[in-house]
Amino acid sequence: MEASKCSSKVQLLAFISFFFAFLATGSCSAQVPLLIWSSDSLPPLASPAAGHITSSDQWTAYLTSTFSSGSHTVLLFLQDKLSKDDFTVFGGVFGNKQDNVFHNLEAALQSASSSVIFQASEWLGSSAILALLQDKLDVSPLHVDPDTLAELSINTSVNNLLVISLPYCTGLHKPCKDILHGNDEIIGKVLSMVKAKNIPYTAIYTGLQPSRVISESSVLNQPAGRSLLQAPVPDVKPPIMFNVSGNPCIMLWAQNLNVSISGTLPWVDLATETPSVTKSRCSSNSSLLVLSYTSGYTLSFYMSQRFYPGSARNWFTLDMVQLQYKDLTGVFLGSRDISAPAEYSYHCSFVSSVEEPLLVPNNSDNKNTSQWMLNFVDFQIQGFGLANGTNFSYASDCAGFFSPGIWMGLVTGLIMLLILVYGLHMITHLNTMDRFDDPNGPLISVPQTE
Amino acid sequence: MNGHAILYTGVTLAFWSTITIIGKISFYFLYFFACRFLLETSPFMWALLGVGLAISLSVVGAAWGIYITGSSIIGGGVKAPRIKTKNLVSIIFCEAVAIYGIIMAIVISNMAERFTGTTPETIGARNYQAGYSMFGAGLTVGFSNLFCGICVGIVGSGAALADAQNASLFVKILIVEIFGSAIGLFGVIVAILQTSKVKMGN
Repeated sequence: MEASKCSSKVQLLAFISFFFAFLATGSCSAQVPLLIWSSDSLPPLASPAAGHITSSDQWTAYLTSTFSSGSHTVLLFLQDKLSKDDFTVFGGVFGNKQDNVFHNLEAALQSASSSVIFQASEWLGSSAILALLQDKLDVSPLHVDPDTLAELSINTSVNNLLVISLPYCTGLHKPCKDILHGNDEIIGKVLSMVKAKNIPYTAIYTGLQPSRVISESSVLNQPAGRSLLQAPVPDVKPPIMFNVSGNPCIMLWAQNLNVSISGTLPWVDLATETPSVTKSRCSSNSSLLVLSYTSGYTLSFYMSQRFYPGSARNWFTLDMVQLQYKDLTGVFLGSRDISAPAEYSYHCSFVSSVEEPLLVPNNSDNKNTSQWMLNFVDFQIQGFGLANGTNFSYASDCAGFFSPGIWMGLVTGLIMLLILVYGLHMITHLNTMDRFDDPNGPLISVPQTE
Repeated sequence: MNGHAILYTGVTLAFWSTITIIGKISFYFLYFFACRFLLETSPFMWALLGVGLAISLSVVGAAWGIYITGSSIIGGGVKAPRIKTKNLVSIIFCEAVAIYGIIMAIVISNMAERFTGTTPETIGARNYQAGYSMFGAGLTVGFSNLFCGICVGIVGSGAALADAQNASLFVKILIVEIFGSAIGLFGVIVAILQTSKVKMGN
């Protein structure tokens, strides 16, 4: 698209695409925008695609072709730092046109007879553009500001390179917006002065260095596709197994097996130690798992299994848990709650003799052991029916599908729903009395007066 | 069969068939479903449902009876004003049904006591029995009063209209009404028997 034939709408579009361009992926390379506009016609250039980084060869070639012939007056507005992000932040592009600080720049670009915008030109160093222009125009740069420019007389028959230095925000006390606004005012003043003197000019607005450099790590470093940010799963310890002729007969797994001998001492977690299971025994009706720990504790689980005629199937129960320590024995009765069908294993999140006790202590007669407490966390046990290797059978959990609250809510809710439905049924069957209706008879007259 | 009957029959069939099918597929689910349901619902829920049903169903019965009788008395009283005073006795029979209901509701609610215990073991069998008994008693007195009230109402309506025609008929029909009102009393007696052994608490 020839720059000179750009309609104002397309120019605006170029402006907008300039504002919304995103950085290209790739290795870290600094880019500086390069805006060129002229009162004469500039050589045509296809507008680069959004995100395209114009390489140094391209823009040097373009500038070379621009200034190859004829005499040019080049106004170089060199801001200390300039990046695309400055336009995005301060250009009023998110519908807040009133916050735009680049009024004069925008007006100049729109009113110029031709303009070329390099959204991201590869930055080669702070003096690269100056050196290039100096070289191409074969003239030394003249640093001016609006006041000196007013008194300056410019000879249009030779090349002129006027450099206007603009500050950037860092280090100054004024907010960035005001500084850029001030820069914009300077640009406006300079351009109006040059226009008043009727000098054909080519203006370039760029930065000595980029104000923001975002280094993008190469995409190839990361594996393609998405990966779940899951915490690494810790290894699960294997269950405690009592083997009979090579196959496990009783299996127990618990995250914590906390026991407490006295209220003052802290809880001892037996699951961290390795027990010996040699005293256990296993038969078809009853199983006993004895865990002997080197620290002196012995934990025994008494399980039994039988046929219950009421439900016509076999159930197993954990009848008793016994804790022995230093010749003292504490007995905890597993109530009928710790039970499961014989083919299944039993699992419960908390099996304890304290809060919500499933194990009822039976030690009130022995004053030594009456303070003993048990608390098993994430407890799973199976004493019968282990035929298939080292896996637990299906776990019958102590927690049911519906919580008590859900049950009660459902019951009362359903009763009320039933009452409501019945009431609605009655209402829909209300009838007005029509026994004495006589369509052929005289109509009822209600006299208005007494 | 009208639409309502089809709807209600369909819903009931669907409910029971679901329960049966689930029960057959997984005995486990059904067993624990029923067992857990009875064990995990609090006895208080049952007890207070019983209280609520006792009074509300009795009142429904009384109200129904009164409106049936009342409309007949008022209608008949237009042509035969002498029936008005005598037939109020039918209204009183209906009202008695509501009084039975409120007395039983107060008696049952006084039996609800606090207990500590959250698991089936710690709640104890006696508290469960108390809860279920109170629910049963409330249901008993509620439904028996409901039908008693409707019965007395319809009979009383007939008595009023017969009385309007022929004054000597009233006393005969009153005997029928007395039999009807006795059945409400039966419900109260049985409810008292049900709650006689209730002892809630620790």
